[in-house]
Amino acid sequence: MPEVAQQPVLALEAQGLTKRYGRLTAVEGVSFSVAPGEIVGFLGPNGAGKSTTMRILAGRLMANSGRASVCGESIALDPAGARRRLAYMPENNPLPDEVRVREYLELRARLKAVPEEDVGLRVDQVLHDCDLRERAGSLIGQLSKGFRQRVGIADALVGSPEVILLDEPTIGLDPHQILGIRELLRGLRGRMAVLVSSHILPEVEQVCDRVVIINRGRVVAQGRTEDLRRELLPAPALLLEADLGPEALLALARDLDPEAEVSRSADGRLRVALPRGSPARAGLLGALVRAGRSVRSLAEEPAGLEEIFLAATRRDATAREGRGS
Amino acid sequence: MRAFRHLLAHELSATWLAWSTWATWALFLGLLGTIHWYALLVCSQTPQPWTPIEAVFRWFPLPLLCILPLLTMRSFAEERRAGTLGALLTTQAGAGAVVAAKFLCLWLTWVIFWASFAALPHIAGAVLGGSADPRVADPLALGGGLVFVALSGLLHVAVGLLCSSCTRSPALAGLLAFFSLLALTAGGGLIDALPTDGWEWLGWLQGPADHLRSLAHLEDFAAGIVDSRPLALYATGSLLCLGLTTLAVEAAD
Repeated sequence: MPEVAQQPVLALEAQGLTKRYGRLTAVEGVSFSVAPGEIVGFLGPNGAGKSTTMRILAGRLMANSGRASVCGESIALDPAGARRRLAYMPENNPLPDEVRVREYLELRARLKAVPEEDVGLRVDQVLHDCDLRERAGSLIGQLSKGFRQRVGIADALVGSPEVILLDEPTIGLDPHQILGIRELLRGLRGRMAVLVSSHILPEVEQVCDRVVIINRGRVVAQGRTEDLRRELLPAPALLLEADLGPEALLALARDLDPEAEVSRSADGRLRVALPRGSPARAGLLGALVRAGRSVRSLAEEPAGLEEIFLAATRRDATAREGRGS
Repeated sequence: MRAFRHLLAHELSATWLAWSTWATWALFLGLLGTIHWYALLVCSQTPQPWTPIEAVFRWFPLPLLCILPLLTMRSFAEERRAGTLGALLTTQAGAGAVVAAKFLCLWLTWVIFWASFAALPHIAGAVLGGSADPRVADPLALGGGLVFVALSGLLHVAVGLLCSSCTRSPALAGLLAFFSLLALTAGGGLIDALPTDGWEWLGWLQGPADHLRSLAHLEDFAAGIVDSRPLALYATGSLLCLGLTTLAVEAAD
């Protein structure tokens, strides 16, 4: 009998999710997946449909159509089974103010079916992981916003789920607190699948393995940042610090590639724009050295997630206009 | 079942650690104490066909309308406002377990409030000493009244919870509970208050309305008569309200 290759079970899968409120379509045909142990960023501007998608995936909202599953189990058909494998931290992280941190986490652990004999151990572990040990006895209502977010993440972790959904976990935090949450998320890589929604792009870029970009309810791009950069952006320019002016550099670059363009970057460095695959990319440094120029630095111009996001949304807008006409 | 047990323990501790519960209890005892004291005063001046304990239970709609909404109004409305109800439902605890835990906690609290009233007749008896009429602390009237309050409390607390689950505003939930309980306790009497001419077509309501007369149920219980009809009314009514509350909680967020 021929062996059939087993498909690896995805930690989280959304297929064609659509949610309508009357005539308003909040999300339309949203499809993406998260592999076990992977951290995926869910990006989009405010009102793009991130929270709606998250709530569908958490089983708190029914989609009008489409399929969502956690570790192969349908969220709509078996919400209780899905809830066992998944933890969700909603936007604004609602917590009861008059309960102490440890007491709250113990209750949540019990409600998440952690065996009674393991509750203390699990709570100690998440208090340690989320750097909350010194606040374990504090009332939640007396905690700063950063610590409240940590309590929310500790709550998500306490049931040892296979998938965690974090909706805007760093919203309203100061830079120090953001750094702390970022480190916390990095520590989850490989242990559980994490889908983290945000509209703060650098934060996602620094933490996530892949990104899913949503705009006006539709996924407009998804993949690794590097792949999206290649797919959506022109070839990165070269930034140069050397003892020559733009005219001399242009002459040198055009000897290697007639399409080369030279300008000044915002920080005053020389910027050489070259097509992807141009021989000048590899040859420019050698040509400068052969010309007896002193080169202090030569690097590719970094293209951040902002540029990728803008390019993806622009492409989507153009496609919509094309369909409209 | 495990989630229900933990939720109930949490609800009980949250309820009894809140100052508002103790303040409500003090208000309740103050109200019942005043009624009891006034009834004692009246009975001491002129012989009455009722005892002070019976007088307090006859006035039970007053604490029901003034105190019970204060107890139930925050239960779901406050959690919906804060968003903690949605977060709770992302755990393995189903909406049914959440509703059952809150209901049992509030019903127990309501019964404890009323049970604490039992101290007042005994205090009055102790203060009056040997001169006291034995009916001042009549155990039968007290027991019958408390059983009635505990049974009718099933429906009354369930109505309060249902009202709280329908809104995010505790104040609005309190008002809804007040008017719903008012309709429930005074509904039977309103039919009698209708003028006889021109309202004959509403005569069919007389039968169902008779079953809603809480004071008649109270008198039966106090007299040791166990009628199954009010038992069925309170049991089915509370189950219906709890079912609707569960649906409202599932649809909330």
